[in-house]
Amino acid sequence: MGEIRQIAIYGKGGIGKSTTTQNLTAGLCEHGKKVMVVGCDPKADSTRLLLGGLAQKTVLDTIRDEGEDIELDRIMREGYGGTKCVESGGPEPGVGCAGRGIITSINMLENLGAYTEDLDYVFYDVLGDVVCGGFAMPIREGKAKEIYIVASGEMMALYAANNIAKGIKRYARTGGVRLGGIICNSRNVDRELDLLRAFAKELGTQLLYFVPRDNIVQRAEINKKTVIEYKPDSAQAQEYRNLAEAVINNENFAIPTPMTQERLEEILFEFGLMEDDYQI
Amino acid sequence: MALNLDSSNVATRENRIGSITGYIGSLSDLAEKSQCGTLKGCSRCFSQSSTCLSSCALGQLSAIRDIAIIHHGPAGCSVASAGSYYLDKVMAKKRGVTNNTVYVGTDMNENDTIFGSAEALRDIIIEVNRRYSPKAIFVTSSCATGIIGEDIDSVVDDVKADIDVPIVAVHCEGFKSRIWATGFDISDHAVLSSIVKPPKEKRNTINFKNFYESARPEIIEMFKEFDLEPIFLYCNSTVEELSHISESLATTCICGTLGNYLGNGLEEKYGVPYIRTINPLGVAGFETWLREIGRVTGRSEKVENYIAKQREIYIPQIDAIKEKLKGLRAVLGMGPGYTFEVSRVLNELGVEVVWALAWHYDKKYENGDVPPSMKYLLENDVDFEASVADQQNYEVMNILKKYQPDLYLSRHPGSTVWAIKNGTPAVYVADEYMIFGYKHTLEFAQSILDSINNRSFEKNLARRVKLPYTDWWYQQNVDKFLEEAGK
Repeated sequence: MGEIRQIAIYGKGGIGKSTTTQNLTAGLCEHGKKVMVVGCDPKADSTRLLLGGLAQKTVLDTIRDEGEDIELDRIMREGYGGTKCVESGGPEPGVGCAGRGIITSINMLENLGAYTEDLDYVFYDVLGDVVCGGFAMPIREGKAKEIYIVASGEMMALYAANNIAKGIKRYARTGGVRLGGIICNSRNVDRELDLLRAFAKELGTQLLYFVPRDNIVQRAEINKKTVIEYKPDSAQAQEYRNLAEAVINNENFAIPTPMTQERLEEILFEFGLMEDDYQI
Repeated sequence: MALNLDSSNVATRENRIGSITGYIGSLSDLAEKSQCGTLKGCSRCFSQSSTCLSSCALGQLSAIRDIAIIHHGPAGCSVASAGSYYLDKVMAKKRGVTNNTVYVGTDMNENDTIFGSAEALRDIIIEVNRRYSPKAIFVTSSCATGIIGEDIDSVVDDVKADIDVPIVAVHCEGFKSRIWATGFDISDHAVLSSIVKPPKEKRNTINFKNFYESARPEIIEMFKEFDLEPIFLYCNSTVEELSHISESLATTCICGTLGNYLGNGLEEKYGVPYIRTINPLGVAGFETWLREIGRVTGRSEKVENYIAKQREIYIPQIDAIKEKLKGLRAVLGMGPGYTFEVSRVLNELGVEVVWALAWHYDKKYENGDVPPSMKYLLENDVDFEASVADQQNYEVMNILKKYQPDLYLSRHPGSTVWAIKNGTPAVYVADEYMIFGYKHTLEFAQSILDSINNRSFEKNLARRVKLPYTDWWYQQNVDKFLEEAGK
């Protein structure tokens, strides 16, 4: 049994981090991997597809209601393919401190011994941009060593990814955190693949996988399932299996080289700004 | 000053009046740069700990009689409450009154930090009001509530309907400012915005902002001669008294740092003149100050008579003692409201100031002028080396070692002890009235004389104490750790 691969997934809000993470998890399950998913978003919707709904009581709600003397099974549920699902949870919008909530709940998971030896992968699905120290908690010393940034060819997604890379670079110096690559969750933007490749290269990393856009993902979500569970024979299910394989076989871990705003805009200009009559 | 009483948030001194905590140079340079606007504060790459503005703000407010302070934060943030309780009770006893002020911490925990605790805060306010029936309630923030953006203002607004005494949110997160005196402004802002009412009538009163009102009886006695009655703020003040301070003929203070926000605020909002002279310390200070009060309140003749009478008694005595002080060299370290005032008095007494440290420095006061004490010194051709250091003791020790003055003076507990351990006689100017008026100026001069006449204690102690500083440090320039210093 090797070391647990702890992986944090970052990316712009709404880019599809949770969807990608859960479908990727389902793919890993099919490879016989034991996976734990830790949702680090106050909305607590990172494990919905694996659990078949928002049935989860969050770590922070449990601590609040029952105190700190709790058993692990109060906060951890088993989902699709034997995955272990945990939601950190957090305050209502506009009050309290969600960042502090992530710090508290990850500490709690460690104290309760959630990181068992039988696990192959732990995923941290982290909310939007790394807005404060709390959201960087999963990549601090002793936790996630591997990071994937979910992005698309849209400008704001790449701005966010570049910003996140700055945070990774900071922690790469002290901890051992590395960027494993960019996962493109396609939005069917013009020349998206070329743009993402160029962007990844400039960032000193790779485009790990290009997940094409398919409405089956939305249908699976409405049915509270991953695509692999909802339509195992679909082409999109195979895409996620391929993504899982890419993660398993990945050996390219880099300290990112985030770019200046000017350079980022140059790349966007080169690949993103087409003539109005450009056709794929 | 643009006073905005609609907002509960007060800008910091750094932000509002360009205050700094790091500078080394001379008095004249400091004044010149202040006037032409080029003064820039330096930071330090090494700093000893300093004081928190929160305890400064809440110490002021808790001295008001029969109020409640609800300090919204983790238990440790209310650590200053014990000291405040002790001090407030002692000061009340000394005056012969009772002070039933309560200081309640909300004991915020980890869950409260994550989820916010506005609801619990609301319950605590209601319960404190029910249990103690305070005359006013100050609901204050801490660093933790500041960081998470706890909406104390909304909670306070919300409970106003259920509470019939003044209640106000006080934002005093310690990290806001390096200058603890920002806490004075925060307490003044809270009082101005919640307790002080618009004037109904003019009274023969004068607002006197001070710390612990030790000279209360004699000042009352003195003002009686001018048909004026002082209202001392805030120690032992009642909420009722405070609600009427807009009706006074003028506002004055024993320390410019302590009083300038309230003084300017009352002037701007209610037209109560603020006395902006040098402070009533030493002969020149006392006379200048008293004459201005006489002018503002239309009592110049009475004031002149008083001055003439007092001069007859005290000036010969002060002159006599000056002979004995002549040629002494002093270093002093105090808050800026005192540093340059005491420097002025020392100069008046014939003591040469070789270095003055101010714990912070206000480039200008709320009205845009440089502090009057500095202006006075420069107009009278007094100059000396000066630095701004927020109680950075290692800098004080370096200066004392280099200059070997006859005397060190400080107003802050502990500071003089270090000088004594260094073998330097020291005068602890603890009481704010220690140099007030003719009588206390004479006593102050006598204290200096006593301190330097017998130096055996300092000598013996210094011989037996090993200070933590290395020879290396004593050989460095004082500005060694000051960054971007004007060298």
